[in-house]
Amino acid sequence: MAQATVGRPDNTPVWIISGILLAYGVLVSSGALTGLLTTFKVHKAMDLMQTMAFVGGGLGVATAMLRQARWNKPLNNFDTFVLETIPGILFIVALAMGIRWFAEPMVKLASSALVPVLGFKLYKVLNLNYVVLGILVGIIITNSWGIPKFAASGVKTARFVLKMGVILLGARYSFAELAKLGMVSVWMIGFFVLGTVFFVLFLGKVFKQPKTMTGVLSAGMGVCGVSATVACAPVVKAKCSEMAYTIGTILGFGILCMFAFPTIGKIAGMNATQFGAWAGTGILNSAQVAAACLAFNAVDIKTLKVGEIFNITRVLFLPVIVLVLATWFGKQSGQKLSFKEVVIDKFPIFIIGFLILFFMSSLGLFSPADHYKGKYLDFSYNERTEVTPEELTILKAAAVAGIQGLNTQETASLNDLVKQHQIAGDFNDRADKTKFDTVARVRMAGLESMIARAKGGEVTISKDVKSAVKHALKQVHKKSKTIVTLTNAMIWFFAYGLIGLGMQITGKSLAQAGGWPLVMGGISGVAKATLSFIVVMYFVKDVVLH
Amino acid sequence: MAEDIKCNVNTDDQAENEERALSVFASEKSEDLTALVLVMVVTFLVLLFTKWMA
Repeated sequence: MAQATVGRPDNTPVWIISGILLAYGVLVSSGALTGLLTTFKVHKAMDLMQTMAFVGGGLGVATAMLRQARWNKPLNNFDTFVLETIPGILFIVALAMGIRWFAEPMVKLASSALVPVLGFKLYKVLNLNYVVLGILVGIIITNSWGIPKFAASGVKTARFVLKMGVILLGARYSFAELAKLGMVSVWMIGFFVLGTVFFVLFLGKVFKQPKTMTGVLSAGMGVCGVSATVACAPVVKAKCSEMAYTIGTILGFGILCMFAFPTIGKIAGMNATQFGAWAGTGILNSAQVAAACLAFNAVDIKTLKVGEIFNITRVLFLPVIVLVLATWFGKQSGQKLSFKEVVIDKFPIFIIGFLILFFMSSLGLFSPADHYKGKYLDFSYNERTEVTPEELTILKAAAVAGIQGLNTQETASLNDLVKQHQIAGDFNDRADKTKFDTVARVRMAGLESMIARAKGGEVTISKDVKSAVKHALKQVHKKSKTIVTLTNAMIWFFAYGLIGLGMQITGKSLAQAGGWPLVMGGISGVAKATLSFIVVMYFVKDVVLH
Repeated sequence: MAEDIKCNVNTDDQAENEERALSVFASEKSEDLTALVLVMVVTFLVLLFTKWMA
């Protein structure tokens, strides 16, 4: 796109954005915004805010000065790829900062305030997190003022940055997690994920929809909603509007399920395991799975655990689905490809990157290998895993006096916590890690169920005892700093990429896609929910957790 | 050779080209490779500061 003539957009917006970023950095470091940021519960990110604001602002000033100096010179590669791109990048970064630190917390606060009126948290139900807000902001800007001229080149980096986010997504999962899952969940999820993908592809053929649309919708409906959609969109070369439609369809369908599933589950008389399995299979979005499980049964934590396990299994099928779609898309493009050609030549390189990070994560490079999203359990004897001496006194008194209504497992877990000062296996088994951890997990489950039943009003536990037990539980839940940092980077890449992609969605492109995605999503979603309901009712009893 | 050049411009290609124009990179491959390399650099730095040097 090298132009010999002078085609530079105005420099003023670059100065303005740089000024805003620098001013924000100064305000944050002076402490003037601390009160507001604390209200929004984003004050912990103040260091990051300063770094981003000063680096961004400084880069903006440097860019504006360089552009000024080269104003009347012809555009070269440095201009096209660096100087003319940076203003747009800064524009999106500023928007992403606004969404992460102001829009998202404001939506959360507002929906919490609306709970007495509505009875539920609106942002949870509508999934109004930075992903959806980012796309919405992008769509609003494009369809109202249009993409500002100075930002046009920068917006073109959106998909590239989004791919970086998808690669980083791989770091959050590991093989060990998959190995821990029961075979029932693997078979069932595998069947439904692949079944849904093929069913949507079939529907696409029946309704004569473009293959890009069908491809991205099948991934979204089959795997796990938003992240699968984002990861698979470039594989099938889906347009931004098709991606937006897919995300809209998934979330919309999820909202319906979230309300319908608990009611249907109760009418059908499902037990905790069955409902968890059904919700984890039929509902697409992780947050919505959790909400439905809690709505079905807030007391028995098994429901939520089973739901989460099914959900994790589905996410771990993502690499398989990408492979399937890459093959399908290659074939659909009219070329007769051998499997080798598909896998080696046509396979998207960024998905190989996702797999590389997945392997690195599975090898335990980022955190102990059996982590999931950076979280892992550590029952080893360690002073930092123990409860405080004050808490121990409270727990001791409670154990001696006895708590009315506790079952055998819960009582045993509490007694052992008092004895060992932390959640752990048996001292004599400490050399055998597997045995030690298994016993510790049982004790942890006992304490968790005690807290859940207290929340549901089944047992009465004093506030101090509850807080001591919660602390003991928290002490064994460790988080890998490396994965937390990588996840943060991923979130920023996603936020950036989705704002940019949102800016490429015009009203016209949405109208072109029509209402077919909704129809196809609805049909496949209902089919999956019904089939999985039947399977769960007949085949899943209580065998999911081993 | 000129006679070997096949030019099948259909609507699909055009739509694809329009989408392609929305990237700063010349080809999908270079876009993916750059993303991969950058992520590897990010991962290395994160590991360096949060694990190896922490």
